[in-house]
Amino acid sequence: MNPVARRKGLVVRELPGELLVYDLERHQAHCLNETAAVVFRAADGHRSVLDIAEHLAGSSGSEADAEVVRMALERLADARLLESAAEAEARPGMSRRDAMRRVGLGAAVLLPVVTSVLAPTPTEAAATCVSSCSGQPNGTPCSCFSSDPCTESCVSGLCSDGGGC
Amino acid sequence: MSSLPSLSPRLRQGSGRMERIDRLGWRSATCFDSHGLRVGLRCNQPGLLERLEPHLPPGWKAAASPVVDQVFSLWVGRSHPTRGGRHIHLYAGPSRRLRTSSLDEALALLESEIRQGVAAGSCRRTFVHAGVVGWAGRAILVPGRSRSGKTTLVAELVRAGATYYSDEFAPLDGRGRVHPFPKLLSVRGEAGCDVHVRPTRPEELGGVVGREPLPVGLVVLASYRPGADWRPVPVGPGQAVLEMLAHTVPARLRPAASLRALARAVAGARVLKGERGEAPETAAKLLEAVEERVRSSRRRAGQRGMR
Repeated sequence: MNPVARRKGLVVRELPGELLVYDLERHQAHCLNETAAVVFRAADGHRSVLDIAEHLAGSSGSEADAEVVRMALERLADARLLESAAEAEARPGMSRRDAMRRVGLGAAVLLPVVTSVLAPTPTEAAATCVSSCSGQPNGTPCSCFSSDPCTESCVSGLCSDGGGC
Repeated sequence: MSSLPSLSPRLRQGSGRMERIDRLGWRSATCFDSHGLRVGLRCNQPGLLERLEPHLPPGWKAAASPVVDQVFSLWVGRSHPTRGGRHIHLYAGPSRRLRTSSLDEALALLESEIRQGVAAGSCRRTFVHAGVVGWAGRAILVPGRSRSGKTTLVAELVRAGATYYSDEFAPLDGRGRVHPFPKLLSVRGEAGCDVHVRPTRPEELGGVVGREPLPVGLVVLASYRPGADWRPVPVGPGQAVLEMLAHTVPARLRPAASLRALARAVAGARVLKGERGEAPETAAKLLEAVEERVRSSRRRAGQRGMR
């Protein structure tokens, strides 16, 4: 079965040499380097791994290497950017070290990289130092409001049920 | 004399729960705009509105219409000496956010709630939790969580001559430029609960407040370690967007607009990541980095002109 990258539920933004992908279902953002981006775009269900390797070679000016494509597919599967049907095919069970050994150091620059972050909720991102812990969850950054810290639930700069001192 | 207009706010999208709060009997109310978001504010005591004005977000403008996106309500009950003093209730929309006997505490939370509401609700700006100063016509952004040392670094940059923009939020427009959000700086002394935040005017640090939007020249992804030497590594644009997205308030609410604003913000910027030591040394190096960036862009522009 040919690999198929997800197309639905994503926001995609091109950058020079990189691709940003935001997963609307999981609220995760991913940054794909050029190799991972080429494989992501080429995985349309019509191309086999070898076809994608040739496509990658054409765009990067290097030799076609199916191992690099499999590695990219593995990274994309880890990031949940492949359709589920293609994921099993994409996992050859090869470690990154094995792949680097097989690909060779000369092709190391081609290695696919996908980095990911979980997008914060508005409350998490805006979390500012509150001056009162009333109604705030434990761990919210705070600074004392009252002149007597013992009456506050702000302990060492974080809201706490236990109260100060 | 308050410059706030007298307008009774009406939520653009009301709810049954809100009607219950609406019926409490509000005696003074106003509406204002902040970064494209219209906010209503009301209280049950006529004289209280003037006390609320200093707690509004920086750059607020009087609204012409009572139809608002968000409404905050402050109810101050009568004093009951035998029942722990008076009861003050603060509502954000239909949700009660605080019950206290201290008006100062209620006003402090109201100020913070309004700022966070604007940061999440503004459709015209993408708010990144970051400190911002201006230098040589570019903005220096210091994204980070609370207590990560943003204000300390921003204060030091202002002492070194940079223009103050914000110590809390960087509002980015669709072109990736940063607009001012110059609330008073929340300067702390030592870390911990026993030392209180002191709201500080930038003028007290010898600084001035920026008025115009600026393109981003430098993004500083710094973590503080006592004694560390600032030896940052450059970060590529894609990674920089991810790092900043982790501090972007509407990241989940408006991901496409957030990615667009962040990508444009970092497109012409240098992004540096590393551990920093004390703020004065780091600040000097950051200003130098922006100047170098500006000089090299001018050289490149000059070379293009020669051709």
